[in-house]
Amino acid sequence: MKKRFAKIAALLCALTMAASVVTSCGSKDDNSGTSGAKTGELDTSKEVELSIYVIGDRPAKQDEVEENYNKLFKEKLNCTVKTNYLSWAEYRNKYPLLFSSGEKFDMAYAASWLNFYSLAQKGAFMNLDELWPTYAPKNFAQQSETAKEQATVDGHYYGIPSLYKTYSAYGPIYRTDILEGTDWDGKMENLEDYETYLSYVKKEAPEMQPLSIVQEGAEIDELFMQERGLYPVKGALGDFLWLDPTESNPKIFTYYDYEETPEFLELVNRWNEAGYFSKSALSNTDTTEVENGKAASRIKNMGTYEGAHIQHPDWGFKFANFVSDVSYSSFMQDAFVISNTSENPERALAWYDLITSDEEAFRTWNYGIEGKSYQIVDGQVEKLNLEEYEENPLWTARTPGLFLRVFGSPADIPEMEASYDEHIKEDQGCQKFRAFNIDTSKVETEYAACINVHQQYWWPLELGYTDPVEGLKEYQQKMEAAGVDKVIEEFQRQLDEYLKNK
Amino acid sequence: MKKQGFLHEFKKNRTLFFMVLPMMILVLVLSYLPMSGLVLAFKNYRFDLGVFGSDWNGLENFRYLFVSGTGWNITKNTIVYNLINLVTSQGLAILVAIVISELSGKVFKRITQSVIFLPYFISWVIVGTFIFNIFNYETGVMNNVLKTFGMDPVNVYSIPGVWPWIICIFNAWKWVGYNSIIYIAAITNIDTECYEACDIDGANIFQKIWYITLPSMKPTIITMVLLQIGRILRGDFEMFYQIVGNNGQLFDKTDVIDTYVFRSLLTNSNLGMTAAATLYQSVLCFIIIMVVNHIVKKVEADYALF
Repeated sequence: MKKRFAKIAALLCALTMAASVVTSCGSKDDNSGTSGAKTGELDTSKEVELSIYVIGDRPAKQDEVEENYNKLFKEKLNCTVKTNYLSWAEYRNKYPLLFSSGEKFDMAYAASWLNFYSLAQKGAFMNLDELWPTYAPKNFAQQSETAKEQATVDGHYYGIPSLYKTYSAYGPIYRTDILEGTDWDGKMENLEDYETYLSYVKKEAPEMQPLSIVQEGAEIDELFMQERGLYPVKGALGDFLWLDPTESNPKIFTYYDYEETPEFLELVNRWNEAGYFSKSALSNTDTTEVENGKAASRIKNMGTYEGAHIQHPDWGFKFANFVSDVSYSSFMQDAFVISNTSENPERALAWYDLITSDEEAFRTWNYGIEGKSYQIVDGQVEKLNLEEYEENPLWTARTPGLFLRVFGSPADIPEMEASYDEHIKEDQGCQKFRAFNIDTSKVETEYAACINVHQQYWWPLELGYTDPVEGLKEYQQKMEAAGVDKVIEEFQRQLDEYLKNK
Repeated sequence: MKKQGFLHEFKKNRTLFFMVLPMMILVLVLSYLPMSGLVLAFKNYRFDLGVFGSDWNGLENFRYLFVSGTGWNITKNTIVYNLINLVTSQGLAILVAIVISELSGKVFKRITQSVIFLPYFISWVIVGTFIFNIFNYETGVMNNVLKTFGMDPVNVYSIPGVWPWIICIFNAWKWVGYNSIIYIAAITNIDTECYEACDIDGANIFQKIWYITLPSMKPTIITMVLLQIGRILRGDFEMFYQIVGNNGQLFDKTDVIDTYVFRSLLTNSNLGMTAAATLYQSVLCFIIIMVVNHIVKKVEADYALF
């Protein structure tokens, strides 16, 4: 009996040893495989299917477009790409879960407004320190220093920023046709002029809402602050911390610390009483009021202006920038990431390099099928059959030079952009702070609580729904209870460090 | 008699156990297995380390709920809403069930029931749009009606206090048809001889409802209420989100645990905080169910759930 047991034990031992030899051999093979890949030679001998997640609703004829671009990718890189859409209705819940579900996919659209930084800190994306320059060299070479700094989290690259420059220019997009024949002087340089415009609309076109505001929050406060040359610490709108870039050692502050805030609140109260915007704006979800002719103006950026103008060329849309110190918006506003679960990151990057550098690949990916979903007219792209096709929503893959202006876009945009380009100087004014990324990991609890308080108390306040004096006091009190001082202290420390290294 | 072991029981009722097996597996997989994810509530979650590999961080995730006192407010709101909902929606459902079963005329009865049932199929997204179009200050239906009667328009969005009622009314409206079906079934089961006896005694319709229908429905009512209490800390997320959305003006009165957690997940994608809130919700739920069931058991042991 004992002997038999010993025999079995010995046999088991032998088996495990044999198994371990086999498995260790296997892992050795794996190692040599990856080290071979590190030399930069892309191995395209095996056909792979890459999958990418983007945000948007899948167009009706996307299958056709996919078939068309896959022919090209198959030929160039021996790969096919499957585009998965996260629809506008559910992207907010589903996007963060993409990275925690363990699902195997290769690439995704990412963005600062989709919490790129906090997701990167929590390890959602693949480290691209070596992969990016090696497998997407053309893309890497075109990136500006600022963009690369913006893509850096804890000293590593976790995403590829967009190559396309957008500007922080912000202001009203307004219709002029409804005021034709009145004595309105057409001047639009600051918020006062805008107030005059709104009063004319109220009088001359009473059936229209002068200013459209939706529940994502009003942007009047941000316009007011930026008109005074201030810079949002987060580098994007929708936050509550500001700094004055003209100071040599800028101090971070929030709304109730700013001496002109009471003046601002007076202004919005005046607007609210005059009925320039809806009294139920914070429950309004209709973002197309201006395009539908229900409202006369809204506050947004040049992209929205371009879209409105193309849609209604005869409504006389105009755009005025009120931001006194324009800078380039973060290049991480649209970005590209490789998922942690990707099995073919090399091929995915090579593919991204292709679509951002090769004209044919760029067009088949972004615009679709020539003659069916787009055509080129005078160096501009005209999109066809919009109800069946749509530009690919990987908005980050817009390479300057390849990305064409949309047919019928307003004539004054190139002029404006040229003037901003002339204005922006690296390391000066707002542009100096563009590479500063706040790291919320140490004050996550307080920061999240502050954002919540901000939304609950400031948003109604900035629309004049609550009393300007009492409301501001309450806001301050709640912000302090949520721990805003700790947040400011931490960000100030990060900012000081950033400026020291500049 | 000798007490028999489980094995004996199993042998005796093999077929019955076999029949219950699929359900048990389902419950195990869908309800018990995911519970292991609750460890997230005590972890600093990282995507690359996964649920079980991430570092522990004690009660830090729970701190978020209670910093600045929001935790108490949203807990209070959640409980108040569900209590009002419980009373209004169940009360209304009972009323509707009685009325429908008293209706004579088969076609009319069916049509009435279908019409009442209809709102159940309308999604909250659309109900949310209805509500905005009714209460919107400038172009809303309500203010237009007020104006035609020469009255001043009312800005409902500046009065947070009325929103609990608005939300509960719409909730009752949406669910009444669905809830009433169970009560109608209970009424159908009542022995008709009881009613015949009443008729002979000369009882009118109200007396019949009061002395026969309602007492016969009592077990069903208690079971339904107990089941609803189990959901008391689960705010109907979709309903709150579609009706209130991001409107900070109303948060004081309308923010429930689910909406608060959802909004914070949007700003920092911290899954640990969400798990902490869920755990908090579940523990409170558990306590409430145990207490209520215990009370029911004390009063009338037959009606308790377990």
